[in-house]
Amino acid sequence: MNERWLKLLRTGALAVAVIGLLLVVLSPAISEPLSPGTLWWIEPVAYVGAGIFMIGAIVTLTAIRLESRRKAADRDTRSWSQVTQDYFDTFAHDMGRPLRRILGKQREVRALLNETGEPTPRMVAELLDEIEQQAPNFRLMIENVRVLVNLEDQNAKPAVEPVDAAAIIRNISDRYRPIARDRGLDLIWWSEPGEFGLVYGDASALDHVVTNLVDNATKFANEHIEVRLTRNDAHFLVRVWDDGNGIAESHLAHIFDRGWTPELSARSEKQSSGLGLYIASSLSLRCGGQLVVESQHRNGGDSKDHHTMFTLSLPLDNRPVAAQ
Amino acid sequence: MSSKSIGGGQKILVVDDEHMSDLMRSVLRRLETDGFRPIVIAPQGQHVSGDDYETQALFALETERPAAVLLDVRFGEYDTDRFKGLSILKKIVDRDSKMPVLMFTQYAQGPYRDTAVNASLNVSASVDFIDKLASPEEVVLRLRRLIGKAPATIKIGSLFELDAENAAVYAINGGRRDLIREIQGMKLEILSELAAASYRSEGELVPFSRLERFSEGEDSRASLRVRIRELKVSLGRAVSRDFGATELIINVRNRGYRLVHPDD
Repeated sequence: MNERWLKLLRTGALAVAVIGLLLVVLSPAISEPLSPGTLWWIEPVAYVGAGIFMIGAIVTLTAIRLESRRKAADRDTRSWSQVTQDYFDTFAHDMGRPLRRILGKQREVRALLNETGEPTPRMVAELLDEIEQQAPNFRLMIENVRVLVNLEDQNAKPAVEPVDAAAIIRNISDRYRPIARDRGLDLIWWSEPGEFGLVYGDASALDHVVTNLVDNATKFANEHIEVRLTRNDAHFLVRVWDDGNGIAESHLAHIFDRGWTPELSARSEKQSSGLGLYIASSLSLRCGGQLVVESQHRNGGDSKDHHTMFTLSLPLDNRPVAAQ
Repeated sequence: MSSKSIGGGQKILVVDDEHMSDLMRSVLRRLETDGFRPIVIAPQGQHVSGDDYETQALFALETERPAAVLLDVRFGEYDTDRFKGLSILKKIVDRDSKMPVLMFTQYAQGPYRDTAVNASLNVSASVDFIDKLASPEEVVLRLRRLIGKAPATIKIGSLFELDAENAAVYAINGGRRDLIREIQGMKLEILSELAAASYRSEGELVPFSRLERFSEGEDSRASLRVRIRELKVSLGRAVSRDFGATELIINVRNRGYRLVHPDD
């Protein structure tokens, strides 16, 4: 039973108990018109009143106990989540330290090699590129686990703040354009209208969902990736489109399942954790929106229409009605 | 875009206790390459604490008048300095609420970012967060956007210069600036719109819906196509080049147009 129903039950039971008590107290006054002068009805009215009072009181006490148990459980869950989050942040920071050192060293070596003006040996260049390209993967992996911990907390609520959605999409495009370029892909984005304005929602969640979608697109696109930001009267939409080979219809039903990857159905080695789209979908729902996918699979033919398009839809204003 | 022209010698105050690390050196090098002047806060002494960084940073804010601040969140190994950057951020915002601050941190997302946004900032503050693992190019790009809108003069590769203030386009021929007189009116507006989008973000497309006001007649896309062709011909003539369909201004799969910086 949820919090709202428990509160209703407690209020209702308290009202019943009060009615029972009133029947007991007012039994002489009630019995007088029923049997003038004899007071015969006093006892039945008082007994019925006492019975109603007892039932009301028992239900009220039970509801209060259930409510307090629930609050204690919530406190436990919250503190568990906070402790986990704290541990994870420390872990992520400490994990990041060696990676920052490796990344920094790689950039220094690259700069020194560039200064010499000599051509860089192919294997060295590939190694340096590989280190640089793994940095965004690491960033996303750490973020995915942080969000996963947060999603486990049933009481966690999305932030509601003024968000420059176009700036977030622009930043993601800037982050992934070099990666896309290295993979021979062209990543473009745009917003309609051009001056998109502010929306009210969770900036981190928006950033995280779209980052997962764009990261996914860079893995499956053949040549082009498009990210488009639009709005209607109540929602804003982010569409991430790629011209990859599409998703088979039998896979579409599982695409947002936790841990599912295309390799699972092919019984081959997993190339990813299968968490990104699950997290993106769960986070979208938590923020009052939804994430849907539409895809045209190549099916081994020459169809030029093959593509995949994820559409994220979130409320333009997620503030409580009173605050709007 | 000529990289030295981007920063225009603007000062960037760098407040990070790992300023000697390889990672920070690559960021500082990129800032210099792009024409910024990094001012690095580096307190001296055996036991430097977050307070030392705070004192020197706030002093430099007054004396150096930087265009923006690049600020770490965590300073040193003392527990008290764990989130010293957030306290420095608050003091910077209190002194100059318009000062652009880019928080360069491991905590670019999550509860600490939320704490900073909710508790330390006011509405007019120009603050953004970027992950420590971001590439130096991404850091500079983000700083550039925080500092402000497109400058009065935007370089288009090394061949053209758009002077938005004086509504003029110049061809750069061997270091000489030649005014391209035939680019005026709508052609100039189209070029300005495309150049501004490209300056904001290399991957930004200008969709047809934002360009339709520059077209005439029933078939607005055909009209726009004609104007853009004329614009490319005018620009090409000025530098003795013939820009093809996939050069300079390109139609992206019938979604809109994008400016691509031409090669020398």
